[in-house]
Amino acid sequence: MLTIKQNLKEVMTGGNPDRFVKQYEPFTMIMNTPITRLKPPIGGEIVNEWGITVRWPEGQLGAFPVHDEEHKLVKDITKWREVVKAPDIIKPDEAWKPAQEAVAAIDKNEKYATVFVAPGIFEHLHYFMGMEDALMNFYEEPEYMKEIIDFLVDWEIKLADEFIKHLKPDALFHHDDWGSQLNSFISPATFEEFLLPAYKKIYGHYKANGVELIVHHSDSYAANLVPFMIEMGIDIWQGVMSTNDTPELIKQYGGQITFMGDVDSGVIDFPGWTEEIVQKEIERACRNCGKLYFIPGASQGLAISSFPGVYEATDAAIDRMTEEMF
Amino acid sequence: MSKIQEVQEMVAKGKTKVVAGLVQEALDGGAQPKEILDAMIESMGIVGDKFSAGEIFVPEMLISAKAMSKGVDVLKPLLAGDASTSLGTCVIGTVAGDLHDIGKNLVSMMLESAGFTMIDLGVDVPAAKFVEVAKENNAVIVAASGLLTTTMPALKETSLALKDAGFTVIVGGAPVTQAYATEIKADGYAPDAGSAVTKAKELVK
Repeated sequence: MLTIKQNLKEVMTGGNPDRFVKQYEPFTMIMNTPITRLKPPIGGEIVNEWGITVRWPEGQLGAFPVHDEEHKLVKDITKWREVVKAPDIIKPDEAWKPAQEAVAAIDKNEKYATVFVAPGIFEHLHYFMGMEDALMNFYEEPEYMKEIIDFLVDWEIKLADEFIKHLKPDALFHHDDWGSQLNSFISPATFEEFLLPAYKKIYGHYKANGVELIVHHSDSYAANLVPFMIEMGIDIWQGVMSTNDTPELIKQYGGQITFMGDVDSGVIDFPGWTEEIVQKEIERACRNCGKLYFIPGASQGLAISSFPGVYEATDAAIDRMTEEMF
Repeated sequence: MSKIQEVQEMVAKGKTKVVAGLVQEALDGGAQPKEILDAMIESMGIVGDKFSAGEIFVPEMLISAKAMSKGVDVLKPLLAGDASTSLGTCVIGTVAGDLHDIGKNLVSMMLESAGFTMIDLGVDVPAAKFVEVAKENNAVIVAASGLLTTTMPALKETSLALKDAGFTVIVGGAPVTQAYATEIKADGYAPDAGSAVTKAKELVK
C-alpha cells in the first residue's frame, strides 16, 4: 500500500494510485504561526492586522469584511498609500516555537507540512475597498491597481520568507476566490494583465525556495483561468465547483494540474444534509472524474464541515468509492 | 453616428467620464429626455444579455451601469414627475442574517438601468422590513437575495411574508434554484443580474 503522499503523487502524475485521495488527507495545515491572519469569533467583530473591520454574524458560514462608508479602508484608490499599512510580520524566534513543534510532529513520509495564506491578492483588494470598487478600478484606475497589487506581492513574498525561514514547509495552501459559481469575476484578459504576473512572482518564490507543492483554493467557476493557473505554478486547484465541468478539465489539462473538488459544499454541507446525499454526490464525482488528476471532496476551503459530520461522512463516501473503483 | 447612438455606445463601453457630456449634447441638439433614456435602457439590455451569455464579466457590467447612471443624473430633473419613464418601484435587499451584497447591488443597478425606481434596503434585512417598505412605496415588485444555505430559511420567510401582503416577489442568490423559488412561492427566479431584468420586466407587465 502506498503512503498517503505517494498515493497523491501517483494521482498527480498519472501513475498507479491504489485509492482515491481523501480530501485534505495529505496536508497537515500549520495554523498556529505568529503571522496567521486574525479572524473574529462567531458572532463577533474585529479590526484585523490591516485595519479592516471583519464581522462574523451568528449563523453565517464565515467572516466577512464590512464595507459601509464608515468602515471601508480604501475609499479612494488614488490615495491608497495614505491608508494601507502592511502589518509587521517580523516576530521573535520564540514566537515560532509552537508552529515549529507542529511541523516536527509531522510524519513527512505521509504528509506535507502546509502553510496557509488567506486572503489572496484579489480577495485583499476586496477587503480593502469592497467588491464593486475593486472590480471597477481594474477599468478606471488600472495604474493604481497595479501599484497596490505590487505592494501586496512584495508583502506576500516577505510573508513567504518568514514561513520558509522558520518552518521550511513542503506545501502552500493559498486562498483567493476568483469567481462566482457561474463565471470568473474578471475576464481572462484582465486576469492575465493584473493577477497572473502577481501570482507568478509569489508562487515562483515559494517553489524557488523549496516548497514542493502549491495548492490554490478558489471555490468558484474558473475553468477559463486554468491555463494561467498552470503558468503560475499551481499544482492542485482546490475548490473546483461542479459548474466547471471537471471531467472535461481533467481531459484537457490533466498532467499539468490536478483538480480537487467537483462536489459543491452547498449541495452536501447544509443544515438538512444526509449521508445519502453525500454518498450520491461523491459517487457521481468519482465516476465522472476518474482516478487520475482528481481528488474528490467538497469545495470548502479547509478540512472542516460547516455542519457537524459532513467532512467525516465525505471521507467515508470516498472510502466506499475506493472499494468499488480500485 | 447620431448623438444618441454615441450615448448608447459609450454606455455599453462603460465610459463613465463622457456619458453625461454626451447626454447634454444630445439634449442641446433637440433630443427628448425620454428618447435618450430609452436608448440607454436598450444599451443596458444588450449589456445584460452579454453578461448572461458569459461574454462580458462583472466589471464591464458595473461600469456600464455606472456610465448609465451618470447619464440619468443629467436627465433626472427633466424627467421628474413623468410617470411614463418608470416601470414602477422595486424594493430590493439581502435577507436577514446575510451580509453579501455584490449580486444584490448588481441586480439593483441593472433594474435601475432598465427603468425601475429602486429602493435598496441593503443587507441583513428582516422580512417585516421588506413588507413595510414595499407597502410604504407601493412597490410593483420586491427582489430578495440570499447567498448562503444558512439564510435560505430567511429567504423563505421573506418571500412568504411578501406574498401574504400581496406583492410580486423575485428571488436569487447562489444556493437558490427555480425549484426553491417555486417552493417558497416566489413569482420569479433569476440565476444572474442580466436574467433578473428580463424576469422582473416580464413579471410587472
